[in-house]
Amino acid sequence: MTDTAIRRPPAASLLAADKVVETKGLSKRYGTIVTAVDNLDLNVYRGEVYGFLGPNGAGKTTTLRMLLGLIRPTLGSAKVMGAEPGTPGSLVKVGAIVETPAFYPYLSGYDNLRLLARYCEVPTSRVDATLAQVELTPRARHKFSTYSLGMKQRLGIAAALLKEPDLLILDEPTNGLDPQGMADVRNLIIELGKGQRTVLISSHLLSEVELMCTRIGVIKKGKIVAEGTIDELRGAATLTVRGTPADLAKTVLIKDAGDENVTALADGTFSLKVDLQRTAEINQHLVQAGVAVTELRADERSLEDIFMELTGTEGGL
Amino acid sequence: MLAAFRGELFKSVRRPAVWILVILLLVLAVGLGYVVTYLIDTFAPASSSQGLPQGTKLSDFKVALYPQNFVKDTFSTWGSLGGVFALIMGVLVQGSEYGWGTIKTLFTLRYGRLTMLFGKLSALAVLVLVMVVALFAADAAASLVIVTIDGKAVAFPAADVILKAIAAGFLIFGFWAVFGLALATVFRQSAMAIGLGLAYALVVELLVFSLLGALGSSTTDQIHQWFPIANTGYLAESFGQITFRGVPRNPTPFADATHAVSVLLLYVVAFTAISAWLTRTRDVTS
Repeated sequence: MTDTAIRRPPAASLLAADKVVETKGLSKRYGTIVTAVDNLDLNVYRGEVYGFLGPNGAGKTTTLRMLLGLIRPTLGSAKVMGAEPGTPGSLVKVGAIVETPAFYPYLSGYDNLRLLARYCEVPTSRVDATLAQVELTPRARHKFSTYSLGMKQRLGIAAALLKEPDLLILDEPTNGLDPQGMADVRNLIIELGKGQRTVLISSHLLSEVELMCTRIGVIKKGKIVAEGTIDELRGAATLTVRGTPADLAKTVLIKDAGDENVTALADGTFSLKVDLQRTAEINQHLVQAGVAVTELRADERSLEDIFMELTGTEGGL
Repeated sequence: MLAAFRGELFKSVRRPAVWILVILLLVLAVGLGYVVTYLIDTFAPASSSQGLPQGTKLSDFKVALYPQNFVKDTFSTWGSLGGVFALIMGVLVQGSEYGWGTIKTLFTLRYGRLTMLFGKLSALAVLVLVMVVALFAADAAASLVIVTIDGKAVAFPAADVILKAIAAGFLIFGFWAVFGLALATVFRQSAMAIGLGLAYALVVELLVFSLLGALGSSTTDQIHQWFPIANTGYLAESFGQITFRGVPRNPTPFADATHAVSVLLLYVVAFTAISAWLTRTRDVTS
């Protein structure tokens, strides 16, 4: 974590809750040149849907793999469900998809899940339930090798749900899904995130994250550069006003919002830091004072704006 | 580990490649080892006997195909070549996990990596045992058919000899299977593991020691006795040779069965340890 990172403390209710994922100074280096993850402190609390964002190569997948015990950290430590990653104590409570779901091509989707149920010592009855949950029942008896990417992704989610895990770690779970499939998975994840289950999700679809996640962490070059709820990271919204005469408009706005919250912009508009609930009231005051209001709009920073600002990336992830 | 074993067995018995391998071995064992050999020994023209010792005919070799010799016959042909099939089996069981990316699925299910590996090794042992028992059973059945066609007396080896043969076959094939699994673990793929495994099985050891032997070095056998193919040979030959009228016996093996069993077990332990160490310590990035 750098000194410049924006890090909002989680809500008191979360602090009181259990930490489901906790990393301290987690680092992964390949040789002396490549640092994939750098001194990462990450805390995910029970019941959260935590979005893990970052541009390609930022270290998201490496971090998730370390949390699953697939990759050993070079430095630092991690606890997942109170146990060392990759140990039975941790794995028994975790369901995961890491990148593209991998299954046995010569087995059907149903048999693949039966196989995983055997490994996990889960009753076979869970197989039908999870297949139904991801709406894959009609194709369940077909071989995995004949599945589309979207169907493979659904089967991956079904496999992750098989153990009824307390923590779901999902790496790009909507990859390869069509818009309807993405909406279905999004709704499924929102549903799964209700109650005590925790979801840690990495995604490059910011709109998805915005809709699903209760808290997000942004990673850049292996370091967390921001963490908090979307509203916290977005900061205060602003109201843009254009009116004539401009001097009169400025006087009314300063009276309404305070001098320190009104900024005159070069294009002749005014930017106000106010509660957007007061928009109608401010408009009314301007009109009553004889100002002709030609523009009045709320400016909220999108998650994409925040992301671009934090990671310095252009053109998406 | 039982869950891991059951899981491995579940997917192995449903995998076509496993059965293709077993069936191919049996077809070759019966087809080449019995049917073709019987046809040649029975119907070859008299001129084919030229080059054989005085008074020996091709039909004299048919005795090798009768039940009393089926254990020795199986070892003489498949003691070394059959290992190749077991090697491929070992590679397939492990190498495909890397190829399909299912290794990451396995390692994030419930149990630790070593539990999953030992579950896999246990299932591989069952597959190898099935392979060996099927091979002896097929050869025994083929020998019974042939002796019946020839109208000779049926006399199988004693049950304890057959059981010892199955145990020896299991160790020989088991060694090759674990060697294949270790190669697949080292290279994290099937193609390279099969290529190098076959090169060793068919060329490397035999070529190196043939060349050293040609130099007439007295220490060649002393060194060779610690190499795996030599020991699969010693173990196979410990079941005796088939004797034919007028044909001199092969020299006695350099080492006995006890030595062979010990050395092969050491190799099995060593390859298992290498696989376990790599499985436990290496990052899974596929």
